[in-house]
Amino acid sequence: MQGQGHGTIRLFKRGPAAEVRLVVYVVLALSMMVVDARWRVLDPARQVVAVALYPFQRLVMLPRDLMAGIDNWTNAASLVRSEKEALQSQRIELAQVATHAAQLAAENQQLRRLLGVVEQVRQSSVAVEVLYEPVNAFTRHLVLNKGSDSGIAPGMPVIDEGGIVGQIVRVTPFTSEAALVTDERVSVPVQVLRNGLRLIAFGGNASGKVEVRYLTGDTDLKAGDVLVTSGVGGLFPAGLPVAQIDEVRHDPATGFAMAEATPLSHPERYRHFLVLLVGNSDPATESESSSP
Amino acid sequence: MKQATPQPVRRSSLSSLEPIDTAPFRKPSSARFVWASLLLVWLISLLPWRSWPPAPDLLMLVIVFWALNEPRFVGLTVAFVFGLLMDVHDSGLLGGHVLTYVLATYGAIVLHKRLQLFGSVVQAIHMLPVFVVAMMIPHLLQSWLMGAWPGWDWLWSALITTALWPVADILLHLPQRREDEINSGAA
Repeated sequence: MQGQGHGTIRLFKRGPAAEVRLVVYVVLALSMMVVDARWRVLDPARQVVAVALYPFQRLVMLPRDLMAGIDNWTNAASLVRSEKEALQSQRIELAQVATHAAQLAAENQQLRRLLGVVEQVRQSSVAVEVLYEPVNAFTRHLVLNKGSDSGIAPGMPVIDEGGIVGQIVRVTPFTSEAALVTDERVSVPVQVLRNGLRLIAFGGNASGKVEVRYLTGDTDLKAGDVLVTSGVGGLFPAGLPVAQIDEVRHDPATGFAMAEATPLSHPERYRHFLVLLVGNSDPATESESSSP
Repeated sequence: MKQATPQPVRRSSLSSLEPIDTAPFRKPSSARFVWASLLLVWLISLLPWRSWPPAPDLLMLVIVFWALNEPRFVGLTVAFVFGLLMDVHDSGLLGGHVLTYVLATYGAIVLHKRLQLFGSVVQAIHMLPVFVVAMMIPHLLQSWLMGAWPGWDWLWSALITTALWPVADILLHLPQRREDEINSGAA
C-alpha cells in the first residue's frame, strides 16, 4: 500500500507484473481473511494445507519427541529392573508376597481414585498429547496429536484430571485443535455445585480466567463456589469440574454483577489430556440437544 | 558487508575503470542456497519459540531479504505460499501472514533499486517502515474481524526483525563473501 506511488514510477522495467500480482494476492488475502472470519467455507483448504504441513511439523518436533522417547525408555528399563528385584525377593520368601499384594492393592485403589474422572463420565475417550501451542494473539488454542482418524470431531470436550480443559474446534486427519475454556470464544453451560444454579461460563478478558457475566443482583454466588458442567446443551457431560469463583463484582452502573473464576484444569502444566467422544458414543443425546 | 558496499559508492566515478573489483559482490547467490535458507528458516519458524509475543518474524526477514537480493527466485508468489503455510500452522485467520509477507515483499521490490546503493544498516532503516506497515495492516484488519486488539507486541516484533537485518545480511551473504575473500587473497 505504502509503496504504490513509488512503484508505478520506479518499476517500469518489471512494472505491471509485480503490481498486478500484488493486487491479485492482496485481494486474495483480504477475501480469505473476511471469509475465514465469517464462515467455515475455507476449512477444507485449511485441512489440505495442514495435512501437507504435518510431516514437517513432526520433523521439527522430532528432537523433543526423541527426548521424550528416551525418557520413556529409561523409565521402562528401571521399571523392569525393579520388577525383577521384586520377583527375586518373592522367590526368596513367599511370605513377602502377601504384604506386597496388599501394598499393590492400596496402590491400585489410589490409581482408581485418580482415574475417577473417566469412570464418572462413562464416555469412550481418546488420550491425546499436545503437539504444539499455536502462536496467535487472538485465541488460546492447543494443537493435539490425534485427529479425525481417532474419531475426534469438532465440539468434543477435552478434559484432564482437574476437569474441563477446552473444546475441539477443528480437526484434520492427524491433528485436532482445541480452544481452551479461557478462550474468549468458548462458552460452557455450568451449574454451581453448592446450590445447583445454572449459568454460562465464558472465557475471561483477563488471561487464564473464566467469567460468568450478567448476573442479577440477587444471584446467590460467592467466592469459593465450584462450577461444574450442567449437561445442558448436550455437548459437555454433566458433573465435570470447570472453575472456582474468585470474586463476584457488582457494577452499580448497569445493575448486573460479574464473577471471575479460575479454571480447575491445568492445560499449561501437562501434555496429556482426554478427548471425550461425545457425539460418537451417544448419538441419542446429540440429536436431543440439537433439536430445541 | 559494511566495508563491502561503501567502496563501490565512493569509487563510483572510477567504477567504470575497475569492473573487476566490484564483480565478486555482484555475483548472485546460488539457487540452492536461497531455497535451502528459506526452507531452514521456515522449519525453525514451526518451532514453539515464537510464542514469546515480540519474537521476530525470521521467515519474513529472509523472504524479504531474498526478494531484494535475488528477485529471480523469490517474489510475491513465494511470500504468498509461505504466508499461507504459517497461517495454517498458527491456526490464525487465513490471509493474515499472507498479507504481511506479500506487502513486505512488495516493499522490497519497490525499494530494490534504491537499497542497492546502501550498506545493510541503512537498508535496515529503510525496511523498518516497510515491516511496520506490512505488520500493521493485517493486525488492524484482524482485530476488526475478531473484535479484539492484541496489544502492541507486534511493533516490537517488527523492530527486532529490522534489527536482525544486518545479521541476515552477513549470514546470507557468507558464501559470496568467502569467495570474495579468496579472490582478494589470491590477488
